Amino acid sequence: MHSYTAFGLRISSDLQLPELAQDLAAATLAGAAVPEISIAEGSHHDWPAIPALSPHSTPTLAMAAADWRLELEGVGWFRAWDGTRLSWERWDDSVSNRDVRTFLVTSGIGALLIQRGALVLQGTTLVREGKAVLLLGFPASGKSTLAWCLLQQGWQLLSSEMSVVDAQGLVWPGVQQLKLWHDSAVALDLDWQQLPLVRRGLKRYALGPADLPVAADPTPLAFIYGLGRSKRANHKSEKEKPKEGLITTVEDASSSSEQELFRAWARKSEREALLKLRNHAYQPRFYRAMEQEASLFLQASQLLKRVAVNELIAPDGITTMRSALEAVDLFNPEALFREEKPLAAMEDEA
Amino acid sequence: MSGIDKGYWYLASYPKSGNTWCRVFITELQRLAAESEAQELNLNRDIETGAIASSRHWLDDQLGVNSCDLSFAELDPLRGRAGESAWLFAEGERFHKVHDAFKSPDSRGRAVVSTAGCRGVVYILRHPEDVVVSLSHFFSWPMDRCVDYLLDPTAALVPGERQGGNQVRQHMGRWDQHVRSWADQSELPVLVIRYEDMLSKGAETFMALATFLDLPAEPELVEQALANTSIEKLKKLEEQVGGFAEKPEGCERFFRSGRTGEGAEQLSIEQRKRLAKGLAEVMERFHYEGSTSD
Repeated sequence: MHSYTAFGLRISSDLQLPELAQDLAAATLAGAAVPEISIAEGSHHDWPAIPALSPHSTPTLAMAAADWRLELEGVGWFRAWDGTRLSWERWDDSVSNRDVRTFLVTSGIGALLIQRGALVLQGTTLVREGKAVLLLGFPASGKSTLAWCLLQQGWQLLSSEMSVVDAQGLVWPGVQQLKLWHDSAVALDLDWQQLPLVRRGLKRYALGPADLPVAADPTPLAFIYGLGRSKRANHKSEKEKPKEGLITTVEDASSSSEQELFRAWARKSEREALLKLRNHAYQPRFYRAMEQEASLFLQASQLLKRVAVNELIAPDGITTMRSALEAVDLFNPEALFREEKPLAAMEDEA
Repeated sequence: MSGIDKGYWYLASYPKSGNTWCRVFITELQRLAAESEAQELNLNRDIETGAIASSRHWLDDQLGVNSCDLSFAELDPLRGRAGESAWLFAEGERFHKVHDAFKSPDSRGRAVVSTAGCRGVVYILRHPEDVVVSLSHFFSWPMDRCVDYLLDPTAALVPGERQGGNQVRQHMGRWDQHVRSWADQSELPVLVIRYEDMLSKGAETFMALATFLDLPAEPELVEQALANTSIEKLKKLEEQVGGFAEKPEGCERFFRSGRTGEGAEQLSIEQRKRLAKGLAEVMERFHYEGSTSD
């Protein structure tokens, strides 16, 4: 068995999970000395039928109040229940441990945290000077690329992909891994050939706690930024060369000075900010299906009394973004406010 | 009654074949039929006929995982299942744009879109020579590259496997493969319409469209909706909103000429012959003439 601490919980696992911190001396939410979450291989044939399946279930997700099951064809079966147990089974022998843990430490642990009533937001949290900044964003919104650039400026990674914020406004160390697409790795001058793949067959690389500066302590959240993409960048990504398989890279674009700057604006109305957090809960469908949506709203409302939500549009192009970032102080969002909300910004509310 | 009860439809096409025009028309027809406020159509506010079937956000929600962690070979077979739940589609948003071919080489023989609860598909096709010209403007690509694209059995939209994106990879294949994948599938009722007929036989073609989609199909309404969404009107509306949101960077305007026959004027004989040779069977089937010069 392997032991880890993440999201303020002690976790025991029969699979190695190098994405999580092994520091058993770290603080936990309940001060627990025994594992609060146990992860073990099982057989989905042994799982009992769910008596009252949530209508929010889907063909891959079977969910009820404290039971969550994922059947991912070609990868495996996963079950999280009672906020304490996580079981997994490979689809077949071709599925590697890395394949399994990719989904264990994201959807699996995310489901458990939701069952435990945690506020889990879809975003990556970084720490500097004892304060945390949460970058909210859907997958492929550029969180990891921006986070990697911030790490080069002295920030530390606290939690990636999903972040747990407690009632005191502390973000807890979580999964500490950045996943970078090949094109990002190239644009960031990383020696991608030396980087481990997120999974075999993907051109996406995983940088774990051994490769990155990470923070080990729960940290007060200072600001939340919703990451948006400019309309321009968004549409550029929709073009692909037919054979080379690579779109015109974001570096190619000529940019006006306005497009070379980070831009931010505040979510002034509480309703808008709340909607933002609701939509960026980690897998909102899990919340609905496991009857935790009321708790989500309550906790998100409480959080908004402590922390402001801003929107952040990064310049197009990784090189441009990286250099523009040098002039950015994420603890001073007002300095990034432009006169008005940029028209080109993509609203991502569902 | 919710949109769910009424089922949903796909508007499928190879890119730049008239899909957006259809969506604008549907929106306008519904607006006229509802006798809502007499405001003019706003292209960037009102064209919400439904999510594109390749939306990553939508798929992630359905699958319960980050689809960036799945390979194309894993994702494509799952995509069709992602829509089996009846509660998938938001109310009122029942017409979903699709640029994928019906199946992909990775989808293990399954449709890449959900067919459960789907009432049918309108497949819109356009003369491939004109598609080339329109693609060239849209993507800011040279004509030759667009010809290659229509003839490429691996052609896909968004993104390479080396990059993420708001949409997942949409395999299209060769233009003729794309057409056949939708026109010849037997899982969904299909209405095939030609862009050229939308232009030259508008009333008749759009009446058929409205009837198929179970929309109000009174001739007066259809004609009014058609008049309100003519290419000239759409160009004017695009100017009013300062550029259609679906227009890519570098593309001067989304609604450009809308004409037919531009390909024959602007492509070289060699380019036209390549298309005619590569796509002959389907072009002939849908009465598209290619270059016959030797």
